[in-house]
Amino acid sequence: MELREDLRPFRRRTVVLFILAFAALGLLHLRLADLQVVHGVAWKNLAENNRLRRLPLPGPRGWIYDRRGQVLAENIPTWEVLLFPNEAEEIDATGIFLARIGVSDIETFHQRLAERRIGRMAPLVVGEDLGWDQVAAVRSHQSDYPELAVVSRFRRHYPYGELTAHVVGHLRPVSKSEVGADPRLEPDTMVGATGIEAAENDFIAGSSGDRWVMASAVGLQLGVVSESDPTPGHDLGLTLDIELQRVAAEAFGVQAGAVVALDPQSGAVRVMYSAPSFQPGVFGGRLSRSDWKVLQEDPAHPLQNRYLQGMYPPGSTIKPFLALAGLEMGMIDPQKTVYCNGSVVLYGHRFRCWRQGGHGFVNLERALTESCDVYFYLLGQRLGIEQMASWLHRFGFGERTGLDPVFEAKGLIGTPQWSQQVRGTPWYPGEAVSVSIGQGPVLATVVQLARAYAMLANGGRPVTPYLVSPPHTTHLDPVVNPEHLALVDAALEGVIHGAHGTARRLSGIPMAGKTGTAQVARLQEGVDSDDLAAQLRHHAWFAGWAPLDRPELVVTVIVEHGGSGGSVAGPIAGKIVEAFLSRHPQSSGEASPPPPSEHPASDASG
Amino acid sequence: MEHRVDPWLMLAVVSILGASLTTLHTVSRVVGANLLLRQLLWGVAGLITLWLLSRVRLDVYQRLAPVLYGAGLAALVAVLIFGVARGGNRAWIAIGPLTVQPSEFARLAVILMVAAWLTDRRGDRLKTWEVMAAVLFVCVPIGLIILEPDLGVALTFLPILGGALWLGGLPRRAWIVLMVLGVISSYAAWRYVLQPYQKERVLTLLEPERDPFGAGYQVRQSKIAVGSGGIIGQGLGRGSQSQLRFLPAQHTDFAFSVWAEATGFVGTTMLLLAYALLFSRIAKIGLTTDSRYGLTFAALVGGWLVFQVIVSLGMVLGWLPTTGVTLPLFSYGGSSLISTCAALGIVQSVCRFRFVNQ
Repeated sequence: MELREDLRPFRRRTVVLFILAFAALGLLHLRLADLQVVHGVAWKNLAENNRLRRLPLPGPRGWIYDRRGQVLAENIPTWEVLLFPNEAEEIDATGIFLARIGVSDIETFHQRLAERRIGRMAPLVVGEDLGWDQVAAVRSHQSDYPELAVVSRFRRHYPYGELTAHVVGHLRPVSKSEVGADPRLEPDTMVGATGIEAAENDFIAGSSGDRWVMASAVGLQLGVVSESDPTPGHDLGLTLDIELQRVAAEAFGVQAGAVVALDPQSGAVRVMYSAPSFQPGVFGGRLSRSDWKVLQEDPAHPLQNRYLQGMYPPGSTIKPFLALAGLEMGMIDPQKTVYCNGSVVLYGHRFRCWRQGGHGFVNLERALTESCDVYFYLLGQRLGIEQMASWLHRFGFGERTGLDPVFEAKGLIGTPQWSQQVRGTPWYPGEAVSVSIGQGPVLATVVQLARAYAMLANGGRPVTPYLVSPPHTTHLDPVVNPEHLALVDAALEGVIHGAHGTARRLSGIPMAGKTGTAQVARLQEGVDSDDLAAQLRHHAWFAGWAPLDRPELVVTVIVEHGGSGGSVAGPIAGKIVEAFLSRHPQSSGEASPPPPSEHPASDASG
Repeated sequence: MEHRVDPWLMLAVVSILGASLTTLHTVSRVVGANLLLRQLLWGVAGLITLWLLSRVRLDVYQRLAPVLYGAGLAALVAVLIFGVARGGNRAWIAIGPLTVQPSEFARLAVILMVAAWLTDRRGDRLKTWEVMAAVLFVCVPIGLIILEPDLGVALTFLPILGGALWLGGLPRRAWIVLMVLGVISSYAAWRYVLQPYQKERVLTLLEPERDPFGAGYQVRQSKIAVGSGGIIGQGLGRGSQSQLRFLPAQHTDFAFSVWAEATGFVGTTMLLLAYALLFSRIAKIGLTTDSRYGLTFAALVGGWLVFQVIVSLGMVLGWLPTTGVTLPLFSYGGSSLISTCAALGIVQSVCRFRFVNQ
């Protein structure tokens, strides 16, 4: 049967139409083959990623204790909100929701989002320290915001707060570059920023485990696929004595300065305090910009670690070491006297003694107990700067004690060579005369001075200060003749118990020591330091030890711009020593470290 | 003289419906409604409609076309006044417990009308005023549907106009003019008509990783679902993309992705073969009739269904922007299913009355 001829063009066009249709279907089929057959495995992996969520399980940091087991750093459980950014459909709405329940303001939310690293499935912490009502709010809106997850975390807490802010340190969020370098680090991990938290971070820090869960697109967790447990960090016992630390902090009051006390026999640090201090808790989570600004711009510089990083002219506290240098070199006859009429002219310059009118005839003992400057000017001139520097080095000046691997300052002993290389000016011989009373190009840290005085107290043996564990060094031999040391020690006993000692107001306490008053600005003739503006007044030093027969505690105190060492710094050291002796009537052994499983409750009142 | 209905076309329809019902059953739990039962009822109603309409003589449709067209336009106006809004579109009319989407039926009326009009005119090439008439026939209902606004359905009217112009025959000059007009109007649409979210969908095609959590999210999840089906599929009701709700609109726009994830390349090939069978039977019916109306109608229905399959699959496979065009006979939805079955019923009528001359 023939079809109508007049429909031929219609038929032709219809054929073209359907040929095109089948060509398109063929293309779609090729596309399906590409997706399902050629790349099926890759897409299947993506589907797996879709439903698997990785929840990091943070390993808690170890706790930190003082020598008696008082908790200095602990972990407090808190709630955090995690965001899985790749699961959010409308990230702006999520931000508004979090702001509405008071977890995070919108600006911070977007800032955190912008800081996240692209390409890693890791969730992002978008809220810390949630209250129960906020936890409930997030959980009840889980189906609207499947990208959010509430997890329990630990927040670092320092029960003694300001008391241990510098020595224990605080935490900071790990930086992007650190996470990039170590794939095991979670982007929201907190690591030690300063103090023991930083120095012993590897020991204290736990390592995270992870939990892979299957989750639906609406955030329901359907089951745990695999889980690896986090490893908690190690607990750490410090040699610090928190009660002495408290006494030191209270003795400082509002004054700025630092104190270091240590066991002269072992080097174990008992007190380490920098005043004024700050609340380390502000660093526990994310430090707000305004908090940071307040701390940064505080004129008292509470963030500065004065015992480790502050470099001060040691003033008269340097004299015992130069006396020992003179005795060792045979340049001093202990009985021979020098006449002090209040000043001496050397190298064409008049060097003044702190006592106007002079001390009269002074031997070595009087020169130390009454801190006669003229005696030491003349000694310094005879020793010369090279000898002085060499002996000061033997007592650890100009060298880091090793207490902190990063932040410790080195101090300074100026020499002609140093003057040429660093300062770029020739050495002036009169500078050696200044160095002999701890002024001019000589700077020490409080920790350095504490170590040096420990050598005076322990028979001349070098020690290394430590907070955690004693360094593996055998007992070193004394660097000086014990007879010479006995002479100097006796004189330093006289500083406190002698009739004219510069610290005789402490005479009720069985201790020995040396005062120091370090000049900050050159004094005009006839002007008293106490009349100057606060920032120009002298630094007040005191360094000493107790008890007298077998010293167990060396205390070094500096009060910035405090004025006189005997009247300002001495009493602070005296209070610490009194507190120490009242608790240690006899020598007692080191308290055994606390059992790690037991977390004794912190007792802030002590 | 009467012939039997085409059994191969019926096989294709039943196969596609079967795959559709299987898919809807597996997503019922996810979507939270018993889609299987409802679509089964619609499917039965559709097959009855198909059978009933295939009994009617072809020339009845030709004569009724203007009336049906008028009724279609009236329904589109009515929906704008009495319509029920669903998801922002005022596209449904409630009739008792049912909601009907008049635009789906208006499309059938437009096809009937355009076919009748093409049949009535003489000559091998369309004249200018005839082109204008064809544009008017199609664009009036398109305009009414855009007012709803339901751009996805409005889009499916375009192949009717294109098919009419192609079948009617245009001089080469006219095609060039049309192409220029098309370029200009797409630019104008881009500048003045498309909403930012719609532009985002288009841009996402050119650059799939452009916004993986925004406009690209749905397409990406769909590609993951299709691809992870592999060769033999993950098994019915076992696809994680579907069952864990990563895939959006599983019963409508992305129903094919669910099928692809569950049955793999084997299943998608079978489904594509079913569509190929459907189209080839429509083509065969069109090419073997002696009725000018029957040929025109079959070609227009074929063009429309091919367009809808290609646009829908192109979207699911990440080649075309998400427009909300459903996959004929497969996506969930009563009006769409009934109107498709009705069109195929009339195609069967073309088959049965293939030598009935007017």
